[in-house]
Amino acid sequence: MIYLDSAATSLLKPAAVPRAVSRAIRTLASPGRGGHAPAMEAAKAVYDCRCAAAELFDVPEPERVVFTMNATHGLNIAIRSLVRPGDRVVISGYEHNSVTRALKAVGADIRIARSPLFNGPATVAAFRERLAGASAAVCTHVSNVFGFVLPIYEIAALCRAYGVPLIVDASQSAGCADVDFRALDPAFIAMPGHKGLLGPQGTGLLLCGQAGVPLLCGGTGSDSKRQEMPDFLPDRLEAGTHNVAGIAGLSEGIRYVLDRTPQRIGAHERDLTALAAGELEDVPGLEIFNGPEQAGVLSVRHTALDCETLCARLGERGVAVRGGLHCAPTAHETVGTLDTGTVRLSFSPFSTRAETVKACRILRRAAGGDFS
Amino acid sequence: MLHYLIMTRSLTYAQRAARLLERAGITAAVIKAPQSVSVNGCAYCVSVSYKHGPRAVKLLDEADLRSGRIFLQEADGTLREAKL
Repeated sequence: MIYLDSAATSLLKPAAVPRAVSRAIRTLASPGRGGHAPAMEAAKAVYDCRCAAAELFDVPEPERVVFTMNATHGLNIAIRSLVRPGDRVVISGYEHNSVTRALKAVGADIRIARSPLFNGPATVAAFRERLAGASAAVCTHVSNVFGFVLPIYEIAALCRAYGVPLIVDASQSAGCADVDFRALDPAFIAMPGHKGLLGPQGTGLLLCGQAGVPLLCGGTGSDSKRQEMPDFLPDRLEAGTHNVAGIAGLSEGIRYVLDRTPQRIGAHERDLTALAAGELEDVPGLEIFNGPEQAGVLSVRHTALDCETLCARLGERGVAVRGGLHCAPTAHETVGTLDTGTVRLSFSPFSTRAETVKACRILRRAAGGDFS
Repeated sequence: MLHYLIMTRSLTYAQRAARLLERAGITAAVIKAPQSVSVNGCAYCVSVSYKHGPRAVKLLDEADLRSGRIFLQEADGTLREAKL
C-alpha cells in the first residue's frame, strides 16, 4: 500500500516508536504517584519527552510542555483559557473544526480573516484589519486541506503589536516546519503527537505561554490537600493518569525529528508535493491546488468525479488518501470547494518519490475511469 | 548517612532541579517527599548528600527551582528542618 494520508495520522513510524510503546506497557507505572522504581522510571520517561519537545520547539522550560490526548484537546484547553462568551476572536480562513467548534461552544464572536489560497501577504492584511479590540486570535500554521503555510511569524508579531493573545494550531507543521515557541511568543501552541512528530495516536502537546485554565480536574500527584487544581504547570493542565506508553513512543518520534531536523523533513515533503503536482497537472478534469507556500499536503478535485468516488478507486488500487471536507469546512468555504470537497494527498518522511509517481499514475487512471 | 531533602513545587520541577544539579556535578535523586514535611499533601523533593547541600541550594535558588523548606534527614530517617 502507498500511504498518502499522513495529514490524518502518521501510519509509518520509526521502528523505535513501537518498541518504546511495548517496553513502556510492560515496565512503566504511573508517574507522579508512587515513589517506587516503576513509577520513577515512568516519571523519567515522561520528563525525557518533555525535554525533547522543549528542545525541538525552543520552549524555555520543560514544564511549559503539557501532554494532551491530541491537538483538539490542546486547542480546547487554550480556547477555554482565553475566550469568554461574546469575546471577539479572529481566526484565519483555514481553521479546522477543532478550533471553530470549540469557539462556537464557548459562544465566541468569531471573525474570519479570509484570504486567498497561498497568499501570505493578504493573510497578514486580513488579520491586521480585524485584530483591534479582539480578545484572542487563533491561526493554523499549515492548512490541513491545502498545505498552505500561513505566515504565522508575521501574524504573531501583529498579535503582539495589538496585545492580542495568539493560539497557534501546529497540527500540520510540528515536525516538518520551523515551530519556534520563543520566536512566536504565543499564549499557546497546540499539536498532535501522532502526525509530524510520528508518535502514537492518543498523544498531543500543548506548549504554554501562560498557566491556562484546566479542562479536566482531578489527581495530579501534587498539592493533594487542596481542592483546587495546582497553579503551576504542567500539573495544572494534566489531571489524571498520563498516557505513559504513548508518551514513551512520542519521545522516540521526537528524537527522530530532532535527528533529521524539521527543516529537512519539510523539504522532503515539499519536494514530493511539487512532484505530485507536476505529475498530475495535465490530467483532464483534475483541478490541482498548489502554490508557492505549500507544505506536504496537496488537494485535488475532479470536475466530474465525486471526491469520495475517486478516493475509493485509489483505495482499491492500494493508494490511501482522504477525501471530503477534512473536518475543515471553513477552509473549503474560503477556497470555494465546500460543495465538492477535495481529495487530499499528504506526505511523511517515509514517503518516497517512486511511490509518489506511482500513486499519481494510479490517480490519473482512476480519474479517467481506466483500470483495464 | 546525612542527606538534605530540598522541597520543590512538583515532580517536574524536582526532575529539572536534579538534572541541573547533575550537570553541576552533584549527585541528586528525585524522591517522594515524606508526608510529614509536605505542606499541601503529596510532593516531590531532591535528595543530595550533606556535603553538597549548601551548593545545591544555592544553585537551585539561582534557577528558581526550590520551593519551600529544606530538611536534613538522618540515617534512621529522622527529619529536621535545616537553614542553609
